[in-house]
Amino acid sequence: MNKNTLGIFGLLVAIFAITALLNDKFISAYNMQNLIKWSSLYAVMSIGVAFVIITGGIDLSIGSVVGLVAVVLAYQLKVKGIDPGQAIITTMCMSLLIGLIHGLLITKAKIQPFVVTLCGLLIYRSLGRWLTDNQSLGPVPLEDDKGYANIDTINSLDQIFSGKIAITDSFNLPTPALFLLALGIAAALFLNRTIWGRYLFALGNNEDGARYSGINTDNMKIIAYVICSFMAGIAGILFAFELDSVQPAQTGEFYELYAIAAAVLGGCSLRGGVGSILGVVIAAAVIRLIYNSINMLGISTHLEFGILGIVILLGVMADEFLKRYSAQRAAAKQKES
Amino acid sequence: MKTRFLIVIMCALSLAGWVGCSKKTDSEGDNDSSEARIAYVTNGVDPFWDLCAAGVRIAEKEFGIGCEVHMPTKGVVDQKRIMEGLLAKGIEGIAVSPVDAENQTPFLNEVAENSKLITQDADAPKSKRLVYIGTNNYKAGRALGKLVKEALPEGGEVIIFVGRLEQLNARQRRQGVIDELLDKPEQELSSVKFDAVDAKNLTAEGSKYTILDTRTDNFDKAKAKSNAEDAITKYENVKCMVGLFAYNPPACIDAIKEANKAGEIKVCGFDEQDALLQAIKDGNAHGTISQQPWEYGYESVKMLKNILDGKQPETSFHEVPFLVVTKDNIDEFWAKKKEMAELGKQD
Repeated sequence: MNKNTLGIFGLLVAIFAITALLNDKFISAYNMQNLIKWSSLYAVMSIGVAFVIITGGIDLSIGSVVGLVAVVLAYQLKVKGIDPGQAIITTMCMSLLIGLIHGLLITKAKIQPFVVTLCGLLIYRSLGRWLTDNQSLGPVPLEDDKGYANIDTINSLDQIFSGKIAITDSFNLPTPALFLLALGIAAALFLNRTIWGRYLFALGNNEDGARYSGINTDNMKIIAYVICSFMAGIAGILFAFELDSVQPAQTGEFYELYAIAAAVLGGCSLRGGVGSILGVVIAAAVIRLIYNSINMLGISTHLEFGILGIVILLGVMADEFLKRYSAQRAAAKQKES
Repeated sequence: MKTRFLIVIMCALSLAGWVGCSKKTDSEGDNDSSEARIAYVTNGVDPFWDLCAAGVRIAEKEFGIGCEVHMPTKGVVDQKRIMEGLLAKGIEGIAVSPVDAENQTPFLNEVAENSKLITQDADAPKSKRLVYIGTNNYKAGRALGKLVKEALPEGGEVIIFVGRLEQLNARQRRQGVIDELLDKPEQELSSVKFDAVDAKNLTAEGSKYTILDTRTDNFDKAKAKSNAEDAITKYENVKCMVGLFAYNPPACIDAIKEANKAGEIKVCGFDEQDALLQAIKDGNAHGTISQQPWEYGYESVKMLKNILDGKQPETSFHEVPFLVVTKDNIDEFWAKKKEMAELGKQD
């Protein structure tokens, strides 16, 4: 664990301890299980955007991709009655394709990531609304839907994506946590243990330098955007099954901001070249924990955004301060010797 | 290199097209705008407005007048642009749900000078609109309170969920629920006194009910569900959840089901999302208050037609009756909703 991750973990423990002291129901199994579930859902998205941010880019379309994937999935399962396995694969391919298009537009057509993904945000949102006539629909079909024939398979998919695994009598582990665990480990290995991970960091630190040293920076960037949209796609499927209802105009709206906030709080620099998966996952958990604490302590919901903003700002400021302090100390040490 | 890039883009677009084109493209409704004399303008895009549009279509036929339906997607600016276009076309009457009534007043007055203007769903009381067509949200709130009393005859702890309390209709609904549960005297809609938005543990002498809190979610369904879950954690004795916006009751039902508290915690709601109707049918929710959105469309067209024929409205508020839906009338109501949703789908 690097210093930054340790810091954000400290923040998590501190908020956790304070809330637990002030409200004894906070640590109930039921609440922990909810907290883990929501943290996992948001962390999956945040891991994706961390890749893009490490390369020095940005993805503003995450929320719309979550929405579109959820809509297309529910539309296929409920309205069209397509084979559920095929529907899942189609939506995954769609999210990969979206990432590929972003990557190609950014690297080959040389359009700025902000612009490409901003347009994506608008396009995917309206595609989802157009496809469904803006009617809300759920992935699990009701009796008179065409997809009702596949209800057994869909129910087992529901169990996979938003089910619970009994650990003790009272505590059930929500399945999204397993998705997070698998994806998180894979992402961390990719970033820290493979040559491509090194390339991503190198590219984020100094793109020209990386290119001159023989790295195919375009391909690496494309990979980062594909990973980001793919993670958003997985999150879209998880959200669709978790909420059992998809509203084309609202599902996933502004979620890119949660994802970016978690990535930044978790130690990614928007300048690129820095970031850790564990930090991002913990930061996503901190954000959900803040929401949970606000409810548990009965603080007015109107203050939520304010509290969230202040915590993120303080977290990033403390991080910056620590960095400068340790740099100064290192410089002083060097002088002495 | 360039050609390869183009090919990739073409493939991507054709695939995206395939996803989209599997959808029907025929247009059933006759939205013949060439002879439309009046227009119905919503405050956004929502399934709710499709139900309203169904009422417009029925009234068009019944009263023999053409009506355009417009759903602005981007708030105030888009709504203004649409209405300016309608005026330029010489439309004779407009029924609008203003996005921001207070600040749009000067513009609405301008519209009222050039056309017959009425408001529906949301009012702009300071403008020169001829009449406002809408639900009495305070009364509807009280009716919802009565549903809660039916669900909990013994009394108990109640918690309220809503998208946001900045909106007048949300505040009126909430106050109606509170006043009914605490047996307070009925207030006049125009001068309702509100309890503080963050008031906790509201109760009154002689009342068997306590309103624990009101939690907001800013229209985020995931947040709505986690709010309901957190309430289950925090309040062991909560007996009834009240959802004031369409998506709130389904979120509560989900959370209760997952906590294995079905039956233990009752749900009463507003509006008519399918998940709520299904829960009422299955006995997992007690009932809901429907504003019968199609009546908004129907009454708006009828009113504009009367005004154009020279019959001025008698009062400045035309109340659209709401409907209390419980297990007793759920089948009939749901069938009607399905019929309206089909009719109102945008073409």
